[in-house]
Amino acid sequence: MSALLAVMRNELRAMLRHRTALAGIALLAMLATVATVVSLHHMNSAAEYRARQQAAAQAAFEAQPDRHPHRVVHYGHFVYRLPSALAAFDAGVDPFTGSSMFLEGHRQNTANFGDVMQGSILTRFGQLTPAFVLQVLAPLVLVFLGHGVLSHESERGTLRQLMLQGASVRSIVGGKLLALAVVAAVFMLPAFVGLSSMAAAPTTSLGVVGAVMLGYVLYLGVWCVLIALVSAGMKRRRDALLALVALWALSTLLVPRVAPDIAYASQPLPDRLQTEVGIARELRAMGDSHDPNDPYFNRFRQSVLDRHSVERIEELSVNYKGLLAVEGERLTSGLFDKYAARSAAIQHEQNRLVAWFSVLSPSIALRQLSMAAAATDLSAHLRFLDQAEAHRYRMVQQLNQLQADGVSYADDTARDAGADQRKRVDHSHWQDIPRFTFESRTGTAQLKAMLPGFLALLAWLMVALAALEWRSRRLEVAR
Amino acid sequence: MSVWRYEWRLLLRARIPVTGLLLLTALTVVSLASGVQRIESQREAIARIAPLQAADTAAVAARHGDSTDAGQAAYYAFHPTWNPPSALSFAAVGMRDVAPFMLRVRALGLEAQIHDGDVFNPELALAGRFDFAFLLTFLFPVFVIVLFHDLRSNETESGRERMLRSLPTSASRIYLRRATVRIIALLACITLPFAVAALLQGVAIEKIAAVLGLSTAYLLFWVGVSLLVAKRGWSSATNAATLAASWVAIALVLPALAHVVIERAIPVNQGAEIARAQREAVNRAWDIPREDTMRRFYARYPQWSDSAPLGTAFHYKWYLAFHQNGDDEVAPMAADYRAGIERRSEAASTLGWLLPPVGMQAALTRLAETDMQAHLAYQDDIRAYHAELRHYYYPFLFHDKPFHQADYARAPKFEPR
Repeated sequence: MSALLAVMRNELRAMLRHRTALAGIALLAMLATVATVVSLHHMNSAAEYRARQQAAAQAAFEAQPDRHPHRVVHYGHFVYRLPSALAAFDAGVDPFTGSSMFLEGHRQNTANFGDVMQGSILTRFGQLTPAFVLQVLAPLVLVFLGHGVLSHESERGTLRQLMLQGASVRSIVGGKLLALAVVAAVFMLPAFVGLSSMAAAPTTSLGVVGAVMLGYVLYLGVWCVLIALVSAGMKRRRDALLALVALWALSTLLVPRVAPDIAYASQPLPDRLQTEVGIARELRAMGDSHDPNDPYFNRFRQSVLDRHSVERIEELSVNYKGLLAVEGERLTSGLFDKYAARSAAIQHEQNRLVAWFSVLSPSIALRQLSMAAAATDLSAHLRFLDQAEAHRYRMVQQLNQLQADGVSYADDTARDAGADQRKRVDHSHWQDIPRFTFESRTGTAQLKAMLPGFLALLAWLMVALAALEWRSRRLEVAR
Repeated sequence: MSVWRYEWRLLLRARIPVTGLLLLTALTVVSLASGVQRIESQREAIARIAPLQAADTAAVAARHGDSTDAGQAAYYAFHPTWNPPSALSFAAVGMRDVAPFMLRVRALGLEAQIHDGDVFNPELALAGRFDFAFLLTFLFPVFVIVLFHDLRSNETESGRERMLRSLPTSASRIYLRRATVRIIALLACITLPFAVAALLQGVAIEKIAAVLGLSTAYLLFWVGVSLLVAKRGWSSATNAATLAASWVAIALVLPALAHVVIERAIPVNQGAEIARAQREAVNRAWDIPREDTMRRFYARYPQWSDSAPLGTAFHYKWYLAFHQNGDDEVAPMAADYRAGIERRSEAASTLGWLLPPVGMQAALTRLAETDMQAHLAYQDDIRAYHAELRHYYYPFLFHDKPFHQADYARAPKFEPR
């Protein structure tokens, strides 16, 4: 044990004495700090901006004058997606998804105005977030610092000397590994301090914050073991470095790009045009409310008349046009949901396919885990779309019902000069429309979504440790 | 001559360089295939527009029945637009994986339509594409480092340097020859597969030449960096570490930092503000005298001011007029928004002179017409087409010309550049 600690202390001392190594450690720790501060600031201002816009949209909605309810259906409403509490740690898909959505009757709009559509190509070079620093840069700096931990000793022949002094191979390898782990901890520290401050938000689950920290510990742990392993396996320091840089480029740059391309090609996602045309086709097959001889809507009218025990729609106590609007919206929304569910299923399937590439690259496992924790993954985005659609449906149906109850059929169909005024309902109704609030996933659901990533990282760590153990034994035999 | 052959043999006998070159060739081929696949799928989607739209338009026309109201057609008929990929776009997919390349518009307010996106899986988009541009910008320098970090230190470390110095030919000439051989080998690995793919895709020769020129310049930049480092006379391992560190700084860290700076320095008001302002302007029309709307419209489009005055009944010319008024009212906002995006893109391109990886991406996506500028140009095309479309419906509405089913087919068709 004491030998192990001595080796670790020596290794750390050597790094601190080495000017470039020290500069590397300091630079990365600084970058992690800068990323945390900048990202926190960016997300805070985005959150403030979107909240202000949401309030302005709400005020405009409520300030509408007396209007026909159907006018308000078309006036619609805007909803904004506020960034999640941990989005500053890992922005995930936030820059790629629109942050606002226009909700109106009969139509399902897209979430528009994502950062990627209003920025330069630099958006595609990656966001400077703590997650980016830890996922991509930290392993590489560890490679620079650690590729020589064992290869340097064998290159100079000092490994044998160490062993002759009575240190076991295990304590030498273990000590070097521990030294790397200490450096990794220094890298994680600023990001974790930032994470803890974000965790102060009331909606954040402490379990999720702890779990995502553990995920990063496992990930950088895997890298430390891989570095020690390759360093032990290579006779020359230079070869160890090249092999490790290649491994890094493969697992953090190459596989994370190739996997999505494969998922995209093998699970084609219907585009918007196909979806819209498909929905229109299915709607036509159901019926046309404007056609007086349409069988579906004739049946609907008959059922309404029967329910109210009257002969003609003019005799109804409610406005038939309003009821027709409710029924029409019910039909279209059913189709919207059906098509949206299909699209969501395909996108989840694509992501599951990408997850399999964790076998080749631990950073894929970590990315999915990290985005799930920060609620900046596909699921969180689709959740926003789902809830916005549910809100749209509620709002439109409430207004349609208002048309049925608040506007008489006679007024609604009148075409005289004063009809326009008689069709309008009092503006106080606009305040009865509930506000949109986004319900984020529960902590338990988030933890469940993080589980596959955890298992993959744990498997990586186990396999890498086993390989290191096997390699150390070979070193012992070589003595 | 034979010296050159020796130099080639020397390169091809070493394990690490040969593995590197083979890997580079394989990755180039994969990146080209991946880009071609992506662009082919977009071409297929564009080819699907015609049959899908034909069925849709036929249904809208059938529903029109015996009505002669052009307003119904203007309200219900969608007209497709699309942005076909250029021949070179397979090499740099650029923004084409997130920016919509197909959009259906109606003759109603355009500001509420033009910013709509298409469906894409954001997690797949986040990673970025594995295309030739990525390979060239990010991975290629790694291979340059592998082949160049020990150009001289290898000789020093093996003790041959002194011997080389004692030869009648100067050592620097030997290194120059060695560097030339490696440059040719590296270039061949990426440019030959690229040239084949580009010829198969029908890319114009000038564009192929431009990409080859850019690749060579980019390679020479990294070779220059490697030689600068090699000059210090450090060990191979130190050289490799220094080069890899500068690569990460230039290709990853500095662009990410610059991104933050540019977003801060050039604020762009969120586009959603335009959409909201346009909605207010459009919906206000229902609450103000209809003559006010018409007056404002005729002031801008006097050619329709001879139209008959509005009666008490609903008329679509009023409806289309207030939609256009809404667009015209927010036109300055929309222009500002666009100018802000352009300024950000220009700032990034200017930065490309300092950071070659950024410059490479900017130049390649420009050549391939897959950058923001190309997307904005597509939006311009949509705007021009939308104006054409409106003016197709206006004579029917403002001069009360009857609109028949056959007139659906006569509507102007979008023609991409």
